[in-house]
Amino acid sequence: MDPFSSEGELVNIHTAFAQAQYTSVLDDYNSSDFAESNRLPVQILQYRAQCELGQCDEVLSSISNGDAQKTPDLAAVRALAKYLKNGSEDAVAEAEKLAETQADNLSVQLLCGTVLARAGKADQAVSLLSRHTGSLDAVALITQIQLQQNRTDLALQQAKSARSFAQDALLVNLAESWIGMRRGGEEYQKAFYVFEELAQAPSSQTATSLVAQAVAEMHMGRTEEADAALARALELEPESRAALANKVALDAMVGRDGEETRGKLEGVDKEHVLLADMMAKREAFQEACKKYSPKFS
Amino acid sequence: MAASSASSSPMLTKFESKSSRAKGLAFHPKRPWILVSLHSSTIQLWDYRMGTLIDRFEEHDGPVRGIDFHKTQPLFVSGGDDYKIKVWSYQTRRCLFTLNGHLDYVRTVFFHHELPWIISASDDQTIRIWNWQNRSLICTMTGHNHYAMCAQFHPKEDLVASASLDQSVRVWDISGLRKKHSAPTSTTFEDQMAVSRSGQDRADMFGNTDAVVKFVLEGHDRGVNWVAFHPTLPLLVSAGDDRLVKLWRMSETKAWEVDTCRGHFQNSSAALFHPHQDLILSVGEDKTIRVWDLNKRTSVQSFKRENDRFWVLAAHPEINLFAAGHDNGVMVFKLERERPASAVHQNQLFYITKEKHVRSYDFGKNVESPSMLSLRKLGSPWTPPRTLSFNPAERSILVTSSADNGVYELISLPRDASGAVEPSNTLRGSGKSAVFVARNRFAVFNQGNQQIDIKDLSNSTTKTLKPPPGTTDMVYGGPGCLLLITPTTVYLYDIQQKKQLAELAVSGVKYVVWSTDGLHAALLSKHNVTIINKSLEQVSTLHETIRIKSACWDDAGVLLYSTLNHIKYTLMNGDNGIVRTLEHTVYLVRVKGRSVYCLDRASKPKLLTIDPTEYRFKLALVKRHYDEMLNIIKNSSLVGQSIISYLQKKGYPEIALQFVQDPQTRFELAIECGNLDVAVEMAKELDRPKLWQRLSTEALAHGNHQVVEMTYQKLRQFDKLSFLYLATGDGAKLQRMAKIAEHRGDMTSRFQNSLYLGNDVESRIEMFQELDQYPLAYLTAKANGLEDRCQEILEASGMTEEQIVLPTMGKPVRPAKVVVKTHERNWPARSTGVSSFEKALMAEGEETGAGDTNGFAADDDLLASEENGAAEGFMGDEHDDDDAAAGWDMGDDGAAGDEDDDFVDVSAETSGGAAAGSEADLWVRNSPLAADHAAAGQFESAMNLLSKQIGAVNFAPLESRFLEIYAASRTFLPANAGLPPLVNFVRRTPLETDSRKLLPFIPRDLSSVHATEMAKGKAAMKANKLAEGTAAFRSALALLTVNAATSAAEATEATDALHQAAQYLLAMAIELERRQLLGSASSTDLSALPEDKKKKVLELSAYFTIPALEPQHRALTLFSAMNFASRNRQMGSALGFANALLEEGGGNARFRETATRIKAQAERSPTDPIAIDFDPFTRFAVCAASYTPIYAGEPSVACPLDGVLYQPRYKGVVCSVCQVCEVGGRGGGVRLMG
Repeated sequence: MDPFSSEGELVNIHTAFAQAQYTSVLDDYNSSDFAESNRLPVQILQYRAQCELGQCDEVLSSISNGDAQKTPDLAAVRALAKYLKNGSEDAVAEAEKLAETQADNLSVQLLCGTVLARAGKADQAVSLLSRHTGSLDAVALITQIQLQQNRTDLALQQAKSARSFAQDALLVNLAESWIGMRRGGEEYQKAFYVFEELAQAPSSQTATSLVAQAVAEMHMGRTEEADAALARALELEPESRAALANKVALDAMVGRDGEETRGKLEGVDKEHVLLADMMAKREAFQEACKKYSPKFS
Repeated sequence: MAASSASSSPMLTKFESKSSRAKGLAFHPKRPWILVSLHSSTIQLWDYRMGTLIDRFEEHDGPVRGIDFHKTQPLFVSGGDDYKIKVWSYQTRRCLFTLNGHLDYVRTVFFHHELPWIISASDDQTIRIWNWQNRSLICTMTGHNHYAMCAQFHPKEDLVASASLDQSVRVWDISGLRKKHSAPTSTTFEDQMAVSRSGQDRADMFGNTDAVVKFVLEGHDRGVNWVAFHPTLPLLVSAGDDRLVKLWRMSETKAWEVDTCRGHFQNSSAALFHPHQDLILSVGEDKTIRVWDLNKRTSVQSFKRENDRFWVLAAHPEINLFAAGHDNGVMVFKLERERPASAVHQNQLFYITKEKHVRSYDFGKNVESPSMLSLRKLGSPWTPPRTLSFNPAERSILVTSSADNGVYELISLPRDASGAVEPSNTLRGSGKSAVFVARNRFAVFNQGNQQIDIKDLSNSTTKTLKPPPGTTDMVYGGPGCLLLITPTTVYLYDIQQKKQLAELAVSGVKYVVWSTDGLHAALLSKHNVTIINKSLEQVSTLHETIRIKSACWDDAGVLLYSTLNHIKYTLMNGDNGIVRTLEHTVYLVRVKGRSVYCLDRASKPKLLTIDPTEYRFKLALVKRHYDEMLNIIKNSSLVGQSIISYLQKKGYPEIALQFVQDPQTRFELAIECGNLDVAVEMAKELDRPKLWQRLSTEALAHGNHQVVEMTYQKLRQFDKLSFLYLATGDGAKLQRMAKIAEHRGDMTSRFQNSLYLGNDVESRIEMFQELDQYPLAYLTAKANGLEDRCQEILEASGMTEEQIVLPTMGKPVRPAKVVVKTHERNWPARSTGVSSFEKALMAEGEETGAGDTNGFAADDDLLASEENGAAEGFMGDEHDDDDAAAGWDMGDDGAAGDEDDDFVDVSAETSGGAAAGSEADLWVRNSPLAADHAAAGQFESAMNLLSKQIGAVNFAPLESRFLEIYAASRTFLPANAGLPPLVNFVRRTPLETDSRKLLPFIPRDLSSVHATEMAKGKAAMKANKLAEGTAAFRSALALLTVNAATSAAEATEATDALHQAAQYLLAMAIELERRQLLGSASSTDLSALPEDKKKKVLELSAYFTIPALEPQHRALTLFSAMNFASRNRQMGSALGFANALLEEGGGNARFRETATRIKAQAERSPTDPIAIDFDPFTRFAVCAASYTPIYAGEPSVACPLDGVLYQPRYKGVVCSVCQVCEVGGRGGGVRLMG
């Protein structure tokens, strides 16, 4: 069963990770404080947190080749770190190989699944992740991948089945909220409550949770509240990509000039998906314009 | 004794029959049967539970007065006015034998409780005892000197009691008779006959007498009709024509009268002791049934019947039931309700015992508490409490009793149970029903004055409600509500609003049971269960033939209910079934897993175990919880015909398939759900032609020709097989079929195969020749151009060519060439769709399995339909005109079926939602607005739309607008670590979820454009910052061009705003042009300019006033033009502008002052030194490119977007105002509504 279930000692660190409190994951937990059997999962969560904080190099350097060969979990971490660092094909190949050989390892499922999903091999990723045995992380990942594939229906099934065995677990709530944000209507409000609860509790307030709250508010047309939430997120984490990207969208929604925010985002992450997308759209626009030959007097 | 405390509460009648006068009654000790002997000579056997007449026995001649069931044997005895005693078997439904001997009417007959004896009392003044085994009279007891009306054995001792019209009751000792008849030496028949003939009770050789009178009880001063022993105590009760019921006591040596119960005002016909309670019951010709307290001899209850005199009374030996026979039949009744009052709160049951003690029972620990309270004083002593309502907040209970027309008491429960103490402070009042409706409120219903009082905990009324007329009961109706019950309807009544929320026509509701979640309730009436939701809408209803006793809800929303002899379940959809049988009636209070908690009639908590598998399975099926179903299948032995036929009936043959072992059934189910693999497997196992036949039909419908082939082979249907090979293009096998046909020597088949093969003309000719079918052989040869053969045939048949008249022949027809080798693999089979259940099975309960395969299956279906289409196409090609057309039809049918099925699947797929595309794709599909397409990122189609709608050609000014819309429609929701954020699409209406109506959020609505850009532009106009103003209006134009309006009015308004912005832009352009011509901006001096420029400048100044601006801005233009004209001594023009300024009244006081002054000046010589092309009295427009006037009626072209006019020569250029559209371009104007 899920080692992160509410009975285990991993529950806190895992919750922190799920709530994107990556610094807390690194600073507040020491793998030596955990039972022998739980040290590896803790280590992996910490590596993942490091990756999220952009410290891929550190992760790569702290896992030796030998370690990686011995422990598939660590190999999976390496693959993820490598991929996150520069999206290399190597990392994808490594992940695929692990997916074939160590498909029953949860870390392999999660991390390689992530790599595969990012590398555009969503189906492969889902089939790997589907081998999980009651892991909510895997469910959450599958949900997200399926949402990215616009298969809200499948994601919904996924979440439903997870709810049936994990009731009110954080990840189930989150996954349902993600789906809710796709389904819209009354689901927005439900999702908002989940995000708000996280964003407003002092223990779980992070830029990420605030951004999620803001996103829900944006979808419900509550732009002023969204603005405040994003401002708070940027206060907590001035370089939050998620906050900046959504601020660009919010600026556009309320008709503000988004240039400044966009500039900031560029400064943080030149290759952010939003910027890349906007660039592509601009080019598409230019391309489409070529069809027309306006005559000026 | 006057029955002062006697209440005439309604009788709890369980059964009533209608017949002639009932004279005798007997309960069956075990079965729900009652025998009724009638004055009309008939004996009836009734099932009083079902209310049905089981049998009639008619052999007596005249009234039958005595009747009794045997305790253990399937026998009964009857005695009638024909002097006869008859013994019957109710199994064979015959009279077994008749005992003759009495010389007058037989009044009563009874079996002995253990010996094979019958006792009878007769008008011949004797009491006789018979042995029914050897069918003999063994004792005749004489002594009464009038009719003996009743004689009974003592239930334990060797005693007999008799009553007679001689006013006495006698008690007889028959121990001698027992000794004699249980003695080892059996008496001979002759002896017995001698005894019986001798008549008198006389001593035998040992001096014993068979029966001796022990006591003669005298006290009645009229004839005595009935006497009965007490079941345990040495007591007797008798009823007489003196209207009295007398109680007698006896000891070993004497007997005496204890007391008399006075009340009947006519002859009392019968009396007996209550089998379990200290009560006496009696009936009389005064049409009453009376109940007396045995200890006080006071009347407890009396029931009066309108017209019928009572003749006889009987008590059920085991259960609390009595029967009384009267002039028009019989009635079965009970004296008190046996339903224990109880209430469930969370894990506790509160209930009232038979001793009227309040106890609790813990479901978790399965322990019964000691008594907490004694409610001895509640109501009247013989009336048990009716209902119990528990208030957890106050830990108090509300108990009602039906005594005295209904009373209630509010009592606090002690903290801990310390025995049956009397409650210290109770609040009471009168009312039929009382329930808690809130923490500190309860409702009391008073049926007499039809009023409901809402009371607080100090028992004072806070509110009074008027229930609907005819209300008979009131129960809890959900928070703040009551359910009010009338005989035909149930009303939901809101206490706060004092109004009726809903009503439902359900008749005879007696009890209401709420589900634990409070969302549903079951209304129980005598034979119906109606499930409602909390708004009193009917969910389902069911009918039971047997009385429904109680119900309770499973946590999963299944209702379990108990009837007299079953526990049953019903799902919300009305599916119901039996859970288990019951030996005794119980009242369900709680279901938890496999345990059912209930109270029995003795008010004892009981725990019954049930097997919930069946209803859980059905529930899982209804809710489509396949994993749970799987689990149930795996972990329980849920097999059986019932569940299979249930599944089949409910349309789940594929699930039923999982249960079935029997090959025949499996085959049937597999055919039904189209599972050919299983069907083939089963057919092989059974190997019966009929099955192969059906399989072949089904497989053909599926297009599974491999199975078809196999079945045809099995069935040895060679012709069909050949045709199949032809249809699938399997030439090799056709060859073999030809060979086989040769072996079989089947000419027709050979010929057929050869036709199919099409290459074998020679052999066909030979075949015809062999069969002497020369004309056909000739024809074949001729048709295929084989002249040599023709000659041979002619020779063989001795004819010449001239003698033959040939029909016109076309080219020889050949079978079509095989294009697709269909035979190599199956046609795309009809998609049977793996059911989610099977998926769950395959995935072995793995959660993700179902989802995945679902996705794949969908893909497969799509593929299949495509391929199918392709196959169809090929078939169309192959479709030759006449070649076995009938055969092709078959193929076509199958294929058409396929296509239909797939079509259904495909459409289901698309209507299922955005399965493949993102929401942005939906926007494009749902909207013809450029803005929506831009939001979806479909810039090209957005441009296309704009080009069509407004002739847009230059999109550069719209780029930022497009990107803005695009950016505003997407948010980035951070989700899992490591994955990019989830892109979500912002909707125009957040509450919309219908995928066909989804539209994107478009930023900057009309009002914001008005408030920002338009306002800014106008301010700039006023401040004379024309460059700034131009920019503002331009962006307003762009914003409004690519936008979406929420209503038609808003769309019109937006178009107006658009036109206005264009007019301002035009005005500013004219003015800017003028300033540019003038050179230095501030100069008004024209002298330096050449003539033509002077004219142009003056004209531009005048044209500045032409565009339709708002009055204050038009005043500005007029003021500027007036000043400019007057400075340049164009006094004619200046006068015109001054007049216009004054007339229109725009602008401020300074403007008007100046205008007045200039007007005065100009009026002196209103001429223009330089003639300009401007007529203030004619309406015209200004060309936005050349800035020349376009008079009405003159040819012009317009910008499709902003409506600004141009000289015709500018057609095709980009509009200088909006800079987007082609002047004179196509399109009917900007579109802002979907």
